[in-house]
Amino acid sequence: MPAIVQVIDLVKHYYMGDVTVQALSGVNLAFDEGDFVALMGPSGSGKSTLMNVLGCLDRPTSGQYVLRDQNVADMTDDELSEVRSTYLGFIFQAYNLLPQYTVVENIEIPLLYQGVRLDEDTHARCVALSEMVGLGDRLDHRPVQLSGGQQQRVAIARALVNDPQLILADEPTGNLDSRTSDEIMHMLADLNRAGKTIIMVTHENDIAAWARRVVRMRDGMIESDERNDTVSFAEMR
Amino acid sequence: MGLNIFDIPPAPTPGAAGGLGLTKLRRSVGLAVRSLWLHKLRAALSVLGIVIGTSAVIALMAFGRGSMQDALNDIKRQGATNVIVRSVKPTDDSSTGSRSFVLTYGLKFADLDRFATFGDSLVRVVPMRVFMSEVRYLERMDPKGRLVGTIPEYTEVNKLALARGRFLTHEDERAMANNCVLGSAIADKLFPFEDPIGRTVMIRDNRFLVVGVCADRMPTGGSGGSQAAEDFNHDVYIPFNTCRARMGEVVYIRAAGSRSAEKVQINQVTMTVDADFETSEGRQKVRALGDAIRDMLKQDHIKDDWALTVPLDRLEEAERAQNRFTSLLVLIASISLLVGGIGIMNIMLATVTERTREIGIRRALGAKQKDIISQFLVEAVVQTTVGGLTGVVIGLAIVFGAPPLWRLVAGSNLPAQLSYWSIVLSVGVSILVGVMFGLYPAWRAARLDPIEALRHD
Repeated sequence: MPAIVQVIDLVKHYYMGDVTVQALSGVNLAFDEGDFVALMGPSGSGKSTLMNVLGCLDRPTSGQYVLRDQNVADMTDDELSEVRSTYLGFIFQAYNLLPQYTVVENIEIPLLYQGVRLDEDTHARCVALSEMVGLGDRLDHRPVQLSGGQQQRVAIARALVNDPQLILADEPTGNLDSRTSDEIMHMLADLNRAGKTIIMVTHENDIAAWARRVVRMRDGMIESDERNDTVSFAEMR
Repeated sequence: MGLNIFDIPPAPTPGAAGGLGLTKLRRSVGLAVRSLWLHKLRAALSVLGIVIGTSAVIALMAFGRGSMQDALNDIKRQGATNVIVRSVKPTDDSSTGSRSFVLTYGLKFADLDRFATFGDSLVRVVPMRVFMSEVRYLERMDPKGRLVGTIPEYTEVNKLALARGRFLTHEDERAMANNCVLGSAIADKLFPFEDPIGRTVMIRDNRFLVVGVCADRMPTGGSGGSQAAEDFNHDVYIPFNTCRARMGEVVYIRAAGSRSAEKVQINQVTMTVDADFETSEGRQKVRALGDAIRDMLKQDHIKDDWALTVPLDRLEEAERAQNRFTSLLVLIASISLLVGGIGIMNIMLATVTERTREIGIRRALGAKQKDIISQFLVEAVVQTTVGGLTGVVIGLAIVFGAPPLWRLVAGSNLPAQLSYWSIVLSVGVSILVGVMFGLYPAWRAARLDPIEALRHD
């Protein structure tokens, strides 16, 4: 399978006053299309920074980031926005739905920024996505009327609405109990089986067990990178 | 459970339909309203300044224009192209030399001949003899009666309308006929039950036949100085020549315990200049003739026993006052809209801080900086526009509601005239204020680092 994401010698410095913090010091990684990667590591290991760069929210200090065939590392702010809106889907730990919008409207948001005309077709897609994540009977609910698990399912639907090449999930089960976590991970696994490439940050081993590949980081560098043999067990649960 | 992602309708092609124009605008306005609706009270309070500003502009503008129109109508009643010369009792009468019993002053018949030298420039020259006089019919009399000896053209100069009968004619003038025309109030007083036409009234021991009755006439407002407010409804009009022949030039005035006499040939001459007061050339002509007449009278009258009034001066004075009023209003309006704008900016900055996370989410989901700018700008403009429109409604309510209320409470008229461009202007300025004061908060919102914004809580 061709690599959908490739980072070469990725370095990221932060300047905090006079002190320079080296968040990433030369990371080389390649993710294949259709892969399901868990990114692990203690806090301060650089996994969040790597996620931000992969999510085109941040630019590396040096190094290259090739998403499909585009070098993202030296794009302008507007171009990065376009890449996010076209190729990426985000799932956050805190769900990050907009409180003033209904379920369907929240799912619509990424389309809003694609310059797409919102019509019956796009609406039908949003409704179908909410049905797919099991919220077909709550289309007009507001986020506050939903449980955490339901909110995260809306977020998953939202991440899919633009048919992204790559889904970035930042501790997607961090705020959920174990039963709901299982539901959400089932969904992500299903999506992955349907061909979606997923990169997920987590610090829980049993969550990472759902992934096909586990990358561990420490001090801004890759500590280990291995195929997950237990993946089949996770799926059987 | 098994997600079946393949049954979902396909995602639209990004940027394909380029949803621009009205639909997009309507959508973003709708979304802005939704966001503002979350904090209804706050949004309402923050636009209060704009509401008060616009309603004040509309109401004050209407009242300003109304009183201006009132003044204009008053001036037009006096004749906007008229030049009025009056005899004035000189303040310093020692110049008469001897302590004469009879005080002689004022315009002379000779002055009339001089006015005639202006020829066609003066369409009409209307002399008047005016003095207080009792008017009697049988046992009834009007002590407030005022005798006016004048020529037929008086009706045209003063826009006099008749209720019945006719006004004085040139034939009356030539024949020195003892005919008279009564003002509406004096006619009511002397003839409460019968038709005055054809009756004979007594004025200073002379009999006069009533040939006409005037319609009710609006008094002119006084402008101080040479021109006092006048009430015309107690007037009795007789031919100028008749007056000259029958009444003489000396008028005895009976005051408490004393008698005095004045000798005045003509009390007032009203001249109409052949000009159009709507054009600046016309105005110039009126003013030039006024100056020429003034110079002429100065030559001949040693005493300061006359006064010249050009109603047009009052017109221009009124216009200047209106302009001053308008610029003051604009100043007040700008201040209140500035304050309103600062209120909007304040609330928008608070909103941006409060919704930092929302901004981060939107940025992560693909919003460009300009999308964020337009989002917050639209919110600010929606607020100020709604505020401006509310102000218009309140302003209109004041303009149409206050005058009847004022009549009820104060008993006097409160003239109001709505100016449509004040509505357009105030709504336009409200929108502009929204853009101006919304721009900085919107720019701040767009400049936020998406990662920082997402981490914000």
